[in-house]
Order: sequence, then C-alpha cells, then structure tokens
Amino acid sequence: MASLTPTEFLNVVNQTLEYNYSGVDIVGEVASFKVNQGKWVFFDLKDEKSSMGCFMPVWDLHVPLEDGMKVMVQGTAKVTVWGKFSFTVKKVAPVGEGSLKKAYEKLKKKLAGEGLFDEAKKRPIPKGLAKIGVISSTQAAGYADFVKILNARWGGMKVLTAHTQVQGLDAPEQIIRALNYFNERGEVEAIAILRGGGSADDLACFNDEALVRAVAASRIPVICGIGHEVDESLCDLACDVRASTPSNAAEMLTWDKAAVRQEVRRTVRKLGRDLLEKISSLHKDKIRQCLQKIQTACEQCERMVWEKKRLLEALNPEKVLARGYAIITGKMSPGNVVKITTFDAEVDAEVKKVKERKK
Amino acid sequence: MAEKKNLNEKIAELDKRVEWFYSDEFELGEAVARYEEATELAKEIERDLGELKNEIEVLTEDFSK
Repeated sequence: MASLTPTEFLNVVNQTLEYNYSGVDIVGEVASFKVNQGKWVFFDLKDEKSSMGCFMPVWDLHVPLEDGMKVMVQGTAKVTVWGKFSFTVKKVAPVGEGSLKKAYEKLKKKLAGEGLFDEAKKRPIPKGLAKIGVISSTQAAGYADFVKILNARWGGMKVLTAHTQVQGLDAPEQIIRALNYFNERGEVEAIAILRGGGSADDLACFNDEALVRAVAASRIPVICGIGHEVDESLCDLACDVRASTPSNAAEMLTWDKAAVRQEVRRTVRKLGRDLLEKISSLHKDKIRQCLQKIQTACEQCERMVWEKKRLLEALNPEKVLARGYAIITGKMSPGNVVKITTFDAEVDAEVKKVKERKK
Repeated sequence: MAEKKNLNEKIAELDKRVEWFYSDEFELGEAVARYEEATELAKEIERDLGELKNEIEVLTEDFSK
C-alpha cells in the first residue's frame, strides 16, 4: 500500500469528513462561550462524556447564545495542518424548551430595544388585494388551510407562492431569500408568511434574528400566520399584521363573498325603500303647497265677497231711507203729482215750482 | 373603450351611486333612472361574486440555494 505524507493524509481525512458529515445536525450544550474582537465566536459543544470546540464568524450567529443552552449546530469538521480537530459552525439554533425560551426572551428584549416591534411602524393591510405573495411550505397543512379559506371567502386575487422550508436550521435563510425576492420585484401588495401549528422547536426558526430583521425591514407589508393562537414568535411581533393561524391570515386578507353579497342586497333594498319614502315625502310637500294656495285663494275670495256685500249693504235704499233721506219718483214739473217715499211713509205731493240747484 | 372595472372598483362605484341619493345633489327627476343603474350594478356585482376565482401560482425559484 502506498504511503501518504501527513498533508496528503489530512487532505483525505478532511475530504471524508466534509463528504460524510457536513449535513449532520449535532445537539449539545454550550460551554465556554466567548466572542473575540467582536468578530469570532468560540464555544464548546458538549454532552456528559465529550466536548468539541466550535468556531463561527459572529455574522452567522442569529440567536443569542450563552453557556448552558442546548443547541443544534450544522457545520464543517476538519483537522488542521497542526493535527487539531476544528468545527466551523454554519448554522446554530437553540433546542429544548428552556434554551428556546431563554434565547427568545433575550432576543426579544434586544430587538424591542431597537424599536423593531414598535406599533407606530406597523402598516395596515387592506382586504381584497389584487396580488399577494405567500411564503410557506406548499406541503404544509397550514398552507392548504390558507388556500382553502382564501378560495371559500374571496376571489380574483393573484397569489404567488414561494415554497420554502418552514422549520429547521435552513428555514430562516430560505424565508429571507423569498422575502428579498418579493421585495426586489415589488409586484405584490402584501406578503403572508405561513406555517401551521408545531412544537416550540418546530417554530423556533421564526425567532431567528436575521429573519425577524428581514420581516421588520420588508418594504412590502407582511402578515404572519404562524402556529396557533397561543404561539408567539418574534416574526409575529415584527410583522405589520399578526394573524393567529394561516386560516386567520386568509380571513384577514379577504372579505367574505357571502357577506358582501348580503350587504349589496341590503344596500339596494334599503335604497329602494328610502327612495319611495323620499318620493312620497316630496309628493306630500307638493300637495301641502297646493292646499295652501287653495286656502289663500279661498280667503281672498271670501274677503272680496264680504267687501262687495258691505258695499251693497251701504247702497241698499232702505238703509238710505233709514238715515232720513227720501226718494221722489215722478216727473218733476210744476203741477205734476210725484211720489215721496220716506223710511216709514209714502206721500203723494204736487210739484209747485222747479228750479236748477246751484252746487 | 372604457376599461373593464374589477369587483373592488364596482363595489366602490355602487357606494358612490348610493351616496348620490342621500346627497344634496339628489333630484327626483333623475332618481328613478339612477336607481335602475344602481340595481343593475348590484346584479353585476353578485354575478361577479359567483364567478370569482383566485389564481394561485407556485414560483419555480429555488429558495434553498
């Protein structure tokens, strides 16, 4: 068998390590965590029997770590030219309830301090948008629920779905890529990030710092429907609108066809009723005006009749006689007999003389 | 040719038409014709609601890389 130099041997070993173990998830407890020069992260990953040194650039660290936390890591193992084992971490995420909670609280405090969750920054997402982007796993039950509710409630929407992982170490990067995809194109009016219920470990990817920052920075408003009502991820806090579930997100993005149909019918029925009422009220007004005119005309007529009556009464000869005047009938020439009528007598009298009266 | 209105625009149009009946611009002479137009639009909205379908497209981009 051919012999190898140490360099050749280490190259073979490193190739074997890379080929066979680069995708392996390793779960252990963090010990001796430290950050050097603000750039390089060092920690040991250990269990009861063994410990391995881990290294990573600080920009690849998206969750707050501290000694005692249980984490899952993915990375590359190699033996250095000095024969020392080294493990470069590519991805790390807390696992187990205690570690997840600790990392969650720590990051929540940090990002809240930076104003990422400020209510004032949140934008409303109107219902019935023409085009939306969805980021989810197309195989997930949550996505199927979303589509089902969306189709049952409303239509006419164009939905562009970016299929990504929604759990595990790779999920945050994929979701960020999808967010960037939609933001760069700017063709959708809102982005929905969806994932159905799951364990705290399953939903942990939505507490990834880089993802939470990407959600908060999205130019296009983001609605999150992640897990169940009781689950609260940091993405939920950073997005513009939080839905309790994917189905709830579909409800929040749409009107209900049946309700709209009812509302349209109600509006038109009410309009018909109001219009009839208005017409009838306008007719009533017109009738009232006519009656008023008739009444005025009647009153004028009555007044006129009364005045004529008064005039006639004043001209009544009996009234004249009552005032002491007399009426003479017959030819007024000397020797003629004329008739003099007073209020209470009739006298026949002979005319003696007629002369012109000076006025 | 006038651009075909989508459902949202038709609903907004119906609201606008209904508003006229309650505004100072209301005139009895025009009311009946306008009412007929509004009911016609309502029927059109109902018809559209029955025909509405969402278009769902899964992007071919690979977001794992």
